[in-house]
Amino acid sequence: MDAIYHYDRNKISTLLYSIIQQNSNQQVQEWLQQQKSKLEESNATQRFYGTFTAIPRFTGKNSIPDTTIPGFFIHGYTLDRLARMWWLLQLPTENKDQYIQTIEGLFGAADMNEQIALYGALPLLAWPEEWKLRTAEGIRSNIGPVLEAIMLHNPYPAAYLEEAAWNQLVMKAIFTDKPIHLITGLDKRANRKLADTLRDYAHERWAAGRTVNPLLWRLIGPFIDEGSFPDIVRVWHSENSVERDAAALACAASTYAPAQQLVKEISTTTLSWDSVAARIA
Amino acid sequence: MCCSHELTEKNLQPLTVNPAFLERIKGMRFFDPHIHMTSRTTDDYQAMADAGIAAIIEPSFWLGQPRTGIDTFRDYFNSLIGWERFRASQFGIKHYTTIGLNSKEANNEKLAEAVMEILPLFVYKEGVVGIGEIGFDDQTPAEEKYYRAQLELAKEAGLPVQIHTPHRDKKKGTQRSMDIAIEHGLDPRMVIVDHNNEETVQEVLDRGFWAAFTIYPFTKMGNERMVEVVKQYGSERIMINSAADWGISDPLAVPKTAALMHESGIDLNDIHLVTFRNAISAFAQSGQINESDFEAVKEIDQSLKFNGSTVLRGGQQPRRDNLSNIIK
Repeated sequence: MDAIYHYDRNKISTLLYSIIQQNSNQQVQEWLQQQKSKLEESNATQRFYGTFTAIPRFTGKNSIPDTTIPGFFIHGYTLDRLARMWWLLQLPTENKDQYIQTIEGLFGAADMNEQIALYGALPLLAWPEEWKLRTAEGIRSNIGPVLEAIMLHNPYPAAYLEEAAWNQLVMKAIFTDKPIHLITGLDKRANRKLADTLRDYAHERWAAGRTVNPLLWRLIGPFIDEGSFPDIVRVWHSENSVERDAAALACAASTYAPAQQLVKEISTTTLSWDSVAARIA
Repeated sequence: MCCSHELTEKNLQPLTVNPAFLERIKGMRFFDPHIHMTSRTTDDYQAMADAGIAAIIEPSFWLGQPRTGIDTFRDYFNSLIGWERFRASQFGIKHYTTIGLNSKEANNEKLAEAVMEILPLFVYKEGVVGIGEIGFDDQTPAEEKYYRAQLELAKEAGLPVQIHTPHRDKKKGTQRSMDIAIEHGLDPRMVIVDHNNEETVQEVLDRGFWAAFTIYPFTKMGNERMVEVVKQYGSERIMINSAADWGISDPLAVPKTAALMHESGIDLNDIHLVTFRNAISAFAQSGQINESDFEAVKEIDQSLKFNGSTVLRGGQQPRRDNLSNIIK
C-alpha cells in the first residue's frame, strides 16, 4: 500500500478501470491505455492536462450504473467523469510538490464538468490533508452541480475538513436546497455550534414567513436543551405532518428529558430521516 | 414542495401578455451564435428562453475596458466555460463559447504574448466551438500578428474561426481578414466572418466563407435591412446574431428578426436556416455541439438543482413577477 495514499491505490485504480471496461468499447480503452503509456514519456504535465481535458471527446458521456467501491459511492456518474477519476490516479507521486502543483493547475483552469470530476475525486487524491483549503474554496462555489460533487456521496469533507469548514458545507447545502441526507458523515460530524447556527437560521426563516427544511432538525436533535426545546415543540405542533415527523425524530436523538418525554407520546419506529427526505423530495 | 422556495405552478407560467412578435414565432427554436451574456442580466436569459432561444455562443471579447494582467484574462476564460455556462443552464439554455484574444487587446503586446501562452489550456475544453472573436479593430501590425497566430492555433486544434470585422474601414478590413485566413491555409468553410453588411456580404459568400450578420441597433444591422439581405442573397451560409453586450443592444435580436422575416413572407425553411441551422452547421465542425444537449440542459439542471421537484419543470428559474411591486 502506498503511504501517500490512505487507501490501496492500485486496487482502486484497477477496480475503476474494470468499471470503465464494462461501460465502454475497445476503442475507448485503447485510447486510455495509450495515454497512460505516453504519460511516462516527456512533457508529463502537459500530457496529463491534455488528456484530462480531452477525455469526454473520446469516452462520450454515457451514464454509469451506481456502484460502491470501498469507502466510496459512485452515484450519478457518466463515463467521462469516471475516466477522469481513474486518470487522476495515474498521476505520478514521486514528487509531492509537483503533484500538488499539477492538481491545483487542473482546478485553476477547470470548466464546470472538470470541477465536478475533480471535487468528486477528492477522497482519492494523494496527500489527502493537502486538499482542505481547496475543498473550502469549492464550497464557496455558486454552481449547483459543483457543490453537489463536494457535498453528496463524498466521504472527503467529513473525514478531513475542520469544524468551521464542515459547518459551512452543511449550511450551504441547506441554503441551496441540497438533499442533505446524502451528505456522508452528516450525523457523525453534527456539533453544537452548527446546531446553534441552524436554529438562528430557522428563526430567520420563520420571521420572514418562510418554511424550514424539516431535515434541519436532524442536526439539532442531539443537542436539544432548555434553550432549543421550545423550537422543537413549535415544530411538533406544525400543521405539516412531515414537520411533526421531523420533531419526533429529533427528540428521539436527544438525551434531554422533556424531549424524551415528548417522543414517548408517539412511536418513531416507522419513522426515519430517509422517510422524511423522501416525503419532501 | 421543498424547503426554502415555496413555488407554485403560477411562478412558472410565462407572462400572460405576450408581445406580438412572440406570437408570430411560437414554437420556433433559435440559436444565437454571438452574444456576450457576461454583460447581461438574468432578465435577459429569462426573456431569451421565453422567445425560444435554445442555445448560444458567447465569444471572448473586450470587456469595455482594457485588462491589465494575465490573471484577469484567465479568470474571464474560466468564467466562460464555468459560471456563465451554469448560469445559462439555469434557464434551460445551452451555452457554448469561442476562445481567443480580441483585436483591441492584441495591441498590448506584452499582455498579448501571455494570453497566447494560456490559450491552449482553454481551446480544448468541452463546449469550446471555435477560436473567436479575433481579427482587426484598428488594423495595426500587432493585431495582424496575433490574428495570424490564432489562425494557426485554430488549424492545429481543428476548430472553426469566428472573425470580428472592424467598424472602421470595414470593407478593406474584411477583405484583408479573408486574405490572411486563406494565406494560412484555412478552409473558408471553417471560418465565420461576422458583422457583415450590404457592402461586404457578396464577396464573403463568393469566396466560400460563412457570412454572419449582427442585428444591433444604431451601429450595425437593423433587422429590416436584414430581411432585404435574405431576400436578395437567400439563406445559404448566412446566419444572424445579436452580439448583445454592455452597449445598447438587444438579446432578442434573433427571434425578433425571425418574426419580421416571417411577417415579410420569407420562407419558414430560410428563416430556420438563418436563425438556427446554419450556425449549428458551421460551429458543429468543432465536434463540440450535440443538439440533444439543447433538451438535456433543461432536464439535467432540473434534477441537480431542484432535486427532481415535480413543480419545477423545464429547468426554469423561479419567475420574478416584473409587473408586481411586491418582492417575495
